[in-house]
Amino acid sequence: MRKWISLLIIGLTLTFLIGPFFIIIGAGLSAGENLAFPPDGLSLNWYWAVFKVESFRESFALSLFLAVFGTLTALVLGVPAAYALSRYRIPFAETVKMIVAAPIIVPGIIVGLGLLRYLVIPLDFTVSLALFMAHTALVIPYAVRVVTASLENLRSDIEEAAILLGCTRLGAFVKVVLPNIRGGVLAAFILGFVTSFNQVPVSLFLSGPGVRTLPIDMLAYMEITYDPSVAALSALLAIMSVGIIFLAEKFLGFSRYV
Amino acid sequence: MLALPATLFTATFFLLPVLVLLSEGFKIDDAWSLQGYADFISKPLNQTVFFRTLKLGFLVAGVSSIIGYATAFSIFHLPPKHRGRIFGLVVLPLMISPVARTYAWIVILGRTGIVNDAIVGLGLSNTPIRLLFTETAVFLGLLQLFMPLMIIPLVSAMENLPSDAIAAARVLGANWLQVFLKVILPLTKEGLVIGGTLVFTGSLTAYITPAILGGAKVLMLETLLYQRVNVANDFVSAGIIATILITMSFGANFLFKRIATART
Repeated sequence: MRKWISLLIIGLTLTFLIGPFFIIIGAGLSAGENLAFPPDGLSLNWYWAVFKVESFRESFALSLFLAVFGTLTALVLGVPAAYALSRYRIPFAETVKMIVAAPIIVPGIIVGLGLLRYLVIPLDFTVSLALFMAHTALVIPYAVRVVTASLENLRSDIEEAAILLGCTRLGAFVKVVLPNIRGGVLAAFILGFVTSFNQVPVSLFLSGPGVRTLPIDMLAYMEITYDPSVAALSALLAIMSVGIIFLAEKFLGFSRYV
Repeated sequence: MLALPATLFTATFFLLPVLVLLSEGFKIDDAWSLQGYADFISKPLNQTVFFRTLKLGFLVAGVSSIIGYATAFSIFHLPPKHRGRIFGLVVLPLMISPVARTYAWIVILGRTGIVNDAIVGLGLSNTPIRLLFTETAVFLGLLQLFMPLMIIPLVSAMENLPSDAIAAARVLGANWLQVFLKVILPLTKEGLVIGGTLVFTGSLTAYITPAILGGAKVLMLETLLYQRVNVANDFVSAGIIATILITMSFGANFLFKRIATART
């Protein structure tokens, strides 16, 4: 009896959490002109139509660029910070942790507006550069957290051993530490990529004609058109995310790191 | 030294612009003043939006804590083999674009959506009723968006329950309700508080859900901020809303942390 109640509760919650995705996938399969579920007939037309929309292609490229290079930059900045936080007693460690974690707590819309008003407009930053800065800062907390956790699971005496045997600090880091935390670094990259790619509030104000991330472009598109193409695109993005996470879990054991 | 680049980068490109923006709320024509706050508070629309945001934050946190607790408890009772898989399904939506997740509700609640089809089909109403751009729509969207953030800390709190504590209470004569109230609930309180903080602050600072499902009819603080800037170039209000949002986020974090560590 208790078992059945448990299963019922899990079933209902999962339906609420995951059911809408099936509805999105279904609505995108419509053969008609209007957004509806169940769809008016079945076709893949809207899934193909998504690839023909010029602005979707451009914003997808921008989002991909920001997610890949923003996350890489965040790792270049974040890995040394994680190393310092887990291996040394650095002055103001708590303050450093707080500043580095701030992008998770501070609402993104405020950051985007601040960057636009005080960096882009007065200092002639391009919008793309500001977007890049914002997306990098946004991912730093995840990079630091995931890599710190990996470093703390790694005994520090193996690098001491390498140094005793004649390695420099940097050499020991590159040859001994890095290979041992590569799973954590890769997991941080995937988490950062997904976070950056899906990000909306930070990019909201930092978008102009021609410079839009994909989620912002979707928001703009759905304001003027009410056809199934956004449903099809949403479904494709959801499938892409699930695919990435599935592969990461299978080959990396992603959930161990995050 | 090694932590310096990341710290400086975040401070310059993330925190500095935010601080300057917050200061705008305290300025009128470049002179320091609290007049902006007085004007802001006196406008009925701003009051409505503020209390609506607060209300939805508490409502989403409250409802998700009840559903989340029941779900986490059920997941915890699964055989370990299935537990991981089901837990994965709960976490998975977090990795999917919030725009995609919210858009589903347009298909469900729209004029030609599933719910309206059912209502008209069953003859409950002759014409479709407006479900989108209502507080209910925003509430449902937020609940779906943030529920996983409640379940995750609860499941991990339950996994840390000492398994003999429940058995000991049973042996000493407690019934299931007593075991739940006196043993399980106090020991999982921290998970509940962490989940509550994440869901509450998440709902307060959500932009996408009120923008898509609430529109101009159901403004929340973030959509109001966007509107003030885009429609009226009103940076005083923007600074004030930003200050309110940040104060509430940090306040909730601080307050809930105090509750979690308080002795019972």
